[in-house]
Amino acid sequence: MRHKKTTTILLLIVASLLSIIFLLPLVWMILTSFKTLSDSLESASLLPKSWTLENYRLILNASSESPLIRWLLNTTIVTVLGTLLVLFVDVLAAYALARLQIPGRKIILAIVVIALTIPGIVTLFPAFYLFREAELLDSYVPLIVPYAAGTLGVFLIYNFLRTFPKDLEEAAYLDGANQWQVLTKVILPTLRPIITTLGIVTFLAIYNDFLWPSLVTNEAEMKTMTLGIATLVQGSNFVNPAAMMASTVIATLPALLLFIWANRYFVKGITHSGLK
Amino acid sequence: MYLTRRSRWFGLLFLLPFLICFVLFWLLPLVYGIWMSLHDFRLSFGENGFVGLSNYRDLLFNETVHQRLFLATLTNTLWFMLYSVPLLVICSLLLALLIRHLPRRFKTFFRTIFFMSYSISVTAVSAIYLWLFATNGGFINRLLLDLHFINSPVNWTSDQPFAWVVIVIATVWWTVGFNMLLFLNALEEVDNTLYEAASLDGASPWQQFLRITLPTIRPITFFVLITTLIASFNLYGQTLLITRGGPEQSTTSLIMGINTTVFGQNQLGMGAAMALLMGFIMMIITGMQFFVSYMATKKEPVLAKSVTQKKTTSSATDITLKSDAEKERKIT
Repeated sequence: MRHKKTTTILLLIVASLLSIIFLLPLVWMILTSFKTLSDSLESASLLPKSWTLENYRLILNASSESPLIRWLLNTTIVTVLGTLLVLFVDVLAAYALARLQIPGRKIILAIVVIALTIPGIVTLFPAFYLFREAELLDSYVPLIVPYAAGTLGVFLIYNFLRTFPKDLEEAAYLDGANQWQVLTKVILPTLRPIITTLGIVTFLAIYNDFLWPSLVTNEAEMKTMTLGIATLVQGSNFVNPAAMMASTVIATLPALLLFIWANRYFVKGITHSGLK
Repeated sequence: MYLTRRSRWFGLLFLLPFLICFVLFWLLPLVYGIWMSLHDFRLSFGENGFVGLSNYRDLLFNETVHQRLFLATLTNTLWFMLYSVPLLVICSLLLALLIRHLPRRFKTFFRTIFFMSYSISVTAVSAIYLWLFATNGGFINRLLLDLHFINSPVNWTSDQPFAWVVIVIATVWWTVGFNMLLFLNALEEVDNTLYEAASLDGASPWQQFLRITLPTIRPITFFVLITTLIASFNLYGQTLLITRGGPEQSTTSLIMGINTTVFGQNQLGMGAAMALLMGFIMMIITGMQFFVSYMATKKEPVLAKSVTQKKTTSSATDITLKSDAEKERKIT
């Protein structure tokens, strides 16, 4: 038994050391954002010599070049609306495919599965060209709507529904409910776990997407945070690590806090997505 | 029964929103992309004549600038996969094993820490690592200079092999937590009595790992391997921002190559062909997953039998029950 205790303590020490390594880049980012420019370039110490808010003032004042608040707002709009749209569209479609015996059901299902195996990169550039031709670049439309074309959600919810007994729904139909009522009152509550999973996976995918938004947006005002940070890295802030880190703090902190707060759901969402 | 003919057509209404999005933003671009790849298609003024398969020939068989770019960036991406994928799979498994063996109340804490960096976008990750490893004024160089480990600054992001080192470190730090979660979930599902029975039978921890843990997590390991291969194949943000594809284009990834073709060289048709070839390679990788899991389900009955035979000999299960009871007593 003593042997087991020492092992546990040893493992805890290893885990703590690894945690320090994992946290170091984040700690460095936060502390550097409070350093003066010369301090951030010359000091090998993590802690600032003197704490300053100058970097944040600089970044937030340069709003024509780097409208961070606007980018944060764009990211919120795009990820929230995009995720809701995907959930809405996919639940309706999966419900129709699993329950409503619609004409052409088998063919549509086959297409859904085939589409699942084709990587996104093949549609990216033509889709960009089509949006350019439609003069919809630099708008919210290409940043939100194309995510609803993904078939993963339809596939996941369809599979979930297929294994679910129909008794409750049939009882509801006998009581005189129509398809819409059955969907919202009977099906939706049972879909909770799979909707959480799909919601988390979709949210992360849209939030992290970089290549697609970089194709369809040019104007600073329309950029998402992910895209905006890339502009800063490639632009004038390149010479000022302290200001750069102040921007990344503003960019990462909201997501980081959301992540820690809803950690349980993220974990559940990701582990379930891997097993289906 | 309750589904009349009319209501079957009415059901199509439910499918309609998805169908519209799917056709407009997936099917149409897919078909259009294939069509583009068969034409001399310019980004600036559109279609410029049918060329058949000549874009593909130029990429695969003819010695052209496009072939050089395609093969060079494909090779770079494959090197990155070779460096990053084993690390991402092995490190995540080790982290998951570590967390599994921690006392229950510490598990969530460490799991959150190792997984936290996944919530940061690729561009912010790049910004952080770019400045941690900057040649002049970078924190790592400052630290190494002050500790006298080096005499002059290392060109982390502009000399090889350091450039790959930085890219791989950033990628591992960023995404290892994701794989870890998948492993952790699989590990927690392994029947604990198997370990207890094995240790009572005198199996060492290493033997337990080889004989119990590895066989049970094999399916998820394969899933992690394939998804990591695909993710690494999609390398873009890190090399665009941290190394800018350098030094001498040695970290220019395939997607960066396609981007250059489309936007730098105005060749949308050629870029579409490159993207289709890239997609084709990725489909082969995922095809491997389907093939292997199909073979596994065919073999499964045999495998499962041998596993149970090995681990649940009658005496071991009896003792396991007893040791469980003992454990409960200790807690109360």
